[in-house]
Amino acid sequence: MTRVHRFSLRWRVAMVLGLGSLLLTSAVAVVVWNLASGYMLRQREQSAVRQAQVNVRLVDEALRTGSDGLDELLTGLTAGPDTTILLFRPGQVLTSGRQVDPDQLPRKLLDLGRDGIPAGQRLIVSGIPVYAVTLPIAHAEGAYVEMAPMVQLDRTFRFLSAVLVAATVASGLLGVALGSWAGRRALRPLTQLTKAASLIAGGDLRARLPEQTDPDLTPLATTFNSTADALEQRVLRDARFAGDVSHELRSPLTTMVNAAEVLRRRRAEIPGTAGKAVDLLTSEVDRFARMVVDLLEISRTDQQVDDPTPESIDLAELVTNVITTRPGAQVPLEVDEPPPHVLGDRRRLDRVVSNLLDNADRHAGGAVRVAVLRRDGRARLEVDDAGPGVPPDLRTRVFERFDRGTRAGSRGTDTGSGLGLALVAQHVQRHGGTVRIEERPGGGARFIVEIPEAER
Amino acid sequence: MDFSVLLVEDDEHIRQALGLALGDEGFTVTDAVSGEEALDLLAVAEPDVVLLDLMLPGVDGLEVCRTLRARGDLPIIIVTARTDASDVIAGLEAGADDYVTKPLMASVLAARIRALLRRRGTGRHDEVLKAGGLEIRPDVGSVHRAGVEVHLTRTEFRLLVELASASGRIVTREQLLQRVWGYDYFGDTRLLDVHIRRLRRKVEPNPDEPALVLTVRGAGYRLDVDG
Repeated sequence: MTRVHRFSLRWRVAMVLGLGSLLLTSAVAVVVWNLASGYMLRQREQSAVRQAQVNVRLVDEALRTGSDGLDELLTGLTAGPDTTILLFRPGQVLTSGRQVDPDQLPRKLLDLGRDGIPAGQRLIVSGIPVYAVTLPIAHAEGAYVEMAPMVQLDRTFRFLSAVLVAATVASGLLGVALGSWAGRRALRPLTQLTKAASLIAGGDLRARLPEQTDPDLTPLATTFNSTADALEQRVLRDARFAGDVSHELRSPLTTMVNAAEVLRRRRAEIPGTAGKAVDLLTSEVDRFARMVVDLLEISRTDQQVDDPTPESIDLAELVTNVITTRPGAQVPLEVDEPPPHVLGDRRRLDRVVSNLLDNADRHAGGAVRVAVLRRDGRARLEVDDAGPGVPPDLRTRVFERFDRGTRAGSRGTDTGSGLGLALVAQHVQRHGGTVRIEERPGGGARFIVEIPEAER
Repeated sequence: MDFSVLLVEDDEHIRQALGLALGDEGFTVTDAVSGEEALDLLAVAEPDVVLLDLMLPGVDGLEVCRTLRARGDLPIIIVTARTDASDVIAGLEAGADDYVTKPLMASVLAARIRALLRRRGTGRHDEVLKAGGLEIRPDVGSVHRAGVEVHLTRTEFRLLVELASASGRIVTREQLLQRVWGYDYFGDTRLLDVHIRRLRRKVEPNPDEPALVLTVRGAGYRLDVDG
């Protein structure tokens, strides 16, 4: 069982590489983030605590000496505009620096301070991240709280995280791009192989892979090229053989049909049994010649060689032409306007039309109507006869080679080669079309050929 | 009317049978076994038409065809067992007027010979046709460009006259095949294609970019009278 992948090999390589790169970078980013942020935070906290310890000693000193300049001292101690110092005393809270409502502070932190236990906590107060340090005052009742701003650090963190995320994403994308490029590069010989193979499939048997410098690819190129060599040789040999067969068969046939023509012309000179034998001989020679020609044509079509470039053909004109050049009564022709054009080979299409008409002549007393119509982007040729019709179970079989005699009323003196309808099927198929038989309204058979319409 | 035919064919049986059958059709048949013999015979007496097998020992059919074309416009019909497009085209490019593939019946061949030779006297009208700097005189079978004669074979000339007579209108491939080759033609386009190409080489200033004999896709050909 082969699994059909939704994505091409190149994209799978790219995605795996991208994902790997993304995982690796994000792991590194997480580690960097943890180390850096932890370290910086600790540094900041330690410096805040040290500052507070120095400050609280000064405040304690001032309280102990009962100095009046406590407010000035507190103001002097606030280092920056965002720093806040709160001094909780019984029945009084002194604030300095950025104004902060004391109620915003967590009770627990204050209680710890009042109980004489130093503590620290990160908080967001009035929209600013701060580190609050609470310290006991040694010689007086109350608690000292200092809030050091961490705006700078917060900004640094934000920047750092943005850089890390961007780097992770960029590395993932880079991985995908690198994978895609590497995939394409690695697959380039495969692209060449595909191109060469499709050239060969399209009939250019001389297509080869260029010499590969990569040791991994040399065997592939060598194998491919030798296969192509063998194929080319074989096709050439086959074509030569077919040409020889054709020549070897056509030459004696030429002698035979012309000798037969002389005999037929001088039939009166040959009386009796010999004359009858001559009749048999000449008619069989003609049939044999037709059969060989058809057989050669069918095998030539099998070989897919010798194709003229397809041209746009007005089907109505072609059919009209075939009908008017046939001896006997003219078959009524019905044509859709504007008449359909098909892309193809005039000679083969001529052959299709005249073989269908021959078939009607031979088995059904002649065609009674021919129509060239347009149906859903397809050109449609209908050849109707008023004969016995074709039973449903024979409707595909009659297009097989040498299938004849199964139809009613056949096998007179003028039987065909047994290949006429097979040739029709083959030529139509070559034009990307289909041929089938239906019942004609009113009795008889209707042969329907449908070929895709050409762009105008 | 008795026409004389030179049959160049190396297969003795074919030569005899075709000779007998063509004789019955009313032709005077001379035959040659090889290209050399054919060229020797032609140096002495000129038949009305040459039937030429392409596969000949020694000097092959294509070579004979080219040599004869270089000498003049003696009608040549190629009789070949090779039906590959390349062989047929090579024969027509070498200057043949028509081709038939074996096995051919003498009656069919006779019809073609008569059609080809009917093209000989084209004196339908004595007017002078003018197209794209060419002066065509159907009565004497000559084409002049600026006073200089352009040499065309009979078939090329007939093709040009058919196109010129339409005075700029499109002539379909079927019409050309019927009028020029004169019989009900079985859809092979190579004959016409090669003759158009040959004609262009002789009358177009630049055969790769035809300005006079124009292809009308899907329809046929047209002579640009004003061009």
